[in-house]
Amino acid sequence: MRIVVLCSSPYSETGCAMAARLAQLGHTPVGAITLPSWDRATLVRKLGQWGFRDSARYAWSKLSPAKATTRKQTRNPYLETALGHGNKIFRNLHDVAGAHGFPVVVCASQNSRKAIAQMRQWAPDLAIFTGGDILRKPLLETPRLGVINAHLALLPEIRGMSSPEWSLLRGVPLGVTIHFIDAGIDTGPILLRREFQGAAECESMTDLRNRMIAYGIELVGEAVAALDQGTISAVAQSDREKDNQFFVMHEWLKTQAARRLNKNSLATATSKTDE
Amino acid sequence: MSRSSSQDGRAATDRTSKALNEAAGLLRGPHRIFPLLLKLTSDGVRKKFQQQHLYSYASTARPTAESLQSLIRWIINAQRSDGGIPAFYSLLSGYSESYPEVTGYIIPTLYDFAHLAGDQDALHTAERATRATRWLLSLQMPSGAFPSGLRAGDAQPSVFNTGQILQGLVRAYAETKDNGILTCAIAAGDWLTKIQQADGSWSGPGAYQEAAHTYYSMVSWALVQLCDSAGVNRYAIAADKNIDWALTHAKSSGWIDGINLRGYPTFLHFIAYAIQGVLECGILRRRNDWILAASKPAWLLLRKFETTKRLLGTYEPDFRSGRNFTCVTGNGQMSCVWLRLFEATDDLRYLNAALKMNEMLKQLLPVRGRRGVVGGVAGSYPIWGAYQPLRYISWGCKFLADALTLEGRLTRSFEASECAS
Repeated sequence: MRIVVLCSSPYSETGCAMAARLAQLGHTPVGAITLPSWDRATLVRKLGQWGFRDSARYAWSKLSPAKATTRKQTRNPYLETALGHGNKIFRNLHDVAGAHGFPVVVCASQNSRKAIAQMRQWAPDLAIFTGGDILRKPLLETPRLGVINAHLALLPEIRGMSSPEWSLLRGVPLGVTIHFIDAGIDTGPILLRREFQGAAECESMTDLRNRMIAYGIELVGEAVAALDQGTISAVAQSDREKDNQFFVMHEWLKTQAARRLNKNSLATATSKTDE
Repeated sequence: MSRSSSQDGRAATDRTSKALNEAAGLLRGPHRIFPLLLKLTSDGVRKKFQQQHLYSYASTARPTAESLQSLIRWIINAQRSDGGIPAFYSLLSGYSESYPEVTGYIIPTLYDFAHLAGDQDALHTAERATRATRWLLSLQMPSGAFPSGLRAGDAQPSVFNTGQILQGLVRAYAETKDNGILTCAIAAGDWLTKIQQADGSWSGPGAYQEAAHTYYSMVSWALVQLCDSAGVNRYAIAADKNIDWALTHAKSSGWIDGINLRGYPTFLHFIAYAIQGVLECGILRRRNDWILAASKPAWLLLRKFETTKRLLGTYEPDFRSGRNFTCVTGNGQMSCVWLRLFEATDDLRYLNAALKMNEMLKQLLPVRGRRGVVGGVAGSYPIWGAYQPLRYISWGCKFLADALTLEGRLTRSFEASECAS
């Protein structure tokens, strides 16, 4: 199966881990399209998301040559297996591409003419989205089967942003959904929908997110294999019309979600002790 | 046709004469030139370099309690010796005269703060509310109505001002149990019900531009509150009739038509009024259909805010984009609407949007500057925007203070219920 990986930045850990994991599973991508690492919009977004200190620390871990061969430089420790490469760790998409022999193309937008022309040239069966722009119709229609995404919540209940946090606050089981992307926000047909069982071991919301991202990558691998073998078909979302979209969560509500996570973890730990 | 064009013309002339009069204030007070230039520059710089993104306003930059205190301080500092609250502080001409309408509906805000604040502050704020009430009572006309405009001498009875002042009187009675206040509130309510049209609207003399307006749903809210205080059902019946009339103007897009201000664009302030009045009546009268009707435009505006991180200063019918500036007070009102919808529906997305909206609004409060500026809410952002340009407005402080008070109450009760469960 010919696969293209779409990334938000050459330094995106999720993008790198996705490409590397697919290669490990025998589905080496035919190419990857990424947004540039230093464009203004990305920098502003990351600064807003992580704050200045975390952003600077991340940039240093990626760019410092002294740490090039050491481990423990991933923001997400659960991606180390996918990102591990001998004694080294893949620091960016170019490293992954170099090791597995596929090209990386940097485009200002994933919907740009350049990106679409490149996609057409690669003629992929499937594209895997790991972050970036809201994808438009011309790009979505290029891969033969479509573009898939790992959404960190059960669909159709929780669509949009901050989905693990919203799942906790809305009392919806935590889960990951692999779905095709369509013109709406997380409204496309579903390939796989699994509850996430590891929440009880999570120490924090960041830990939960990291574990769910790693779980999502494994599920994408599973979905790709099943699509390749023709043993899976996508199911349209039943309540497409219902407005289940959620937006970036304010930090006060995130604190409340974290409390619920801790409470749930504590309850699970107590019940295990009782057993 | 000729009547509407003459009203358009009158509105334009009125605006020009007000602007000239205010600009002349700069000649009388040249010391205001430097703060004016400073504000124009700072808003220009801020606007140019401000970067809004997906995560904007998702974290707390300024404590809510501190901002609430500075808003109340602005109101208290502005209160005139007669007890009234001025409409605005102009960067050109300073404080305006006391404004009956705003003085009325600031009273509940002052009492809410008094309940939150410590002993000394509470006493002080409640005393300010009492002074404001006393001034209002001195303005009531023999018919029970309250006058329009800035000056008490401008003795035209006004439906909207009477309704807004009624809110303050009902609250003042609830706090003081002074029967004199209740008597005046009843007289105001009686006048409102007496001049209400058969279809439930208020139009003709007493209504702004003599036309019916859907944002007079705020008047209905006051009448429902009066019904609860006085135990007289006819006020609620009048309110029901008006809300039913207003909702005949609700379109499938969620837009509530009939704001109907000739010569003016549809500012977010009035859109939010229409929604808020319907919603508050829906909550008090336990009318789920009204709550649902209010939630439709409120949700639409929420989506706009969440996806673009801002609301426009004006909208065209069906929420088509209007003018590109921020009507700050309209944002505060929408925050109140979202918080009340969270309370009514338990949908946390409303609370989330309100928390972010409040973050945005808190960041716009000046932390330093002269009296009239520090802690004040500008009519527009940037300050030269089309809604109350170059002014800090008292009703902006009122609505943001209400939003922050509500935020505090709802977040505390959410935390308490989380601890209990």
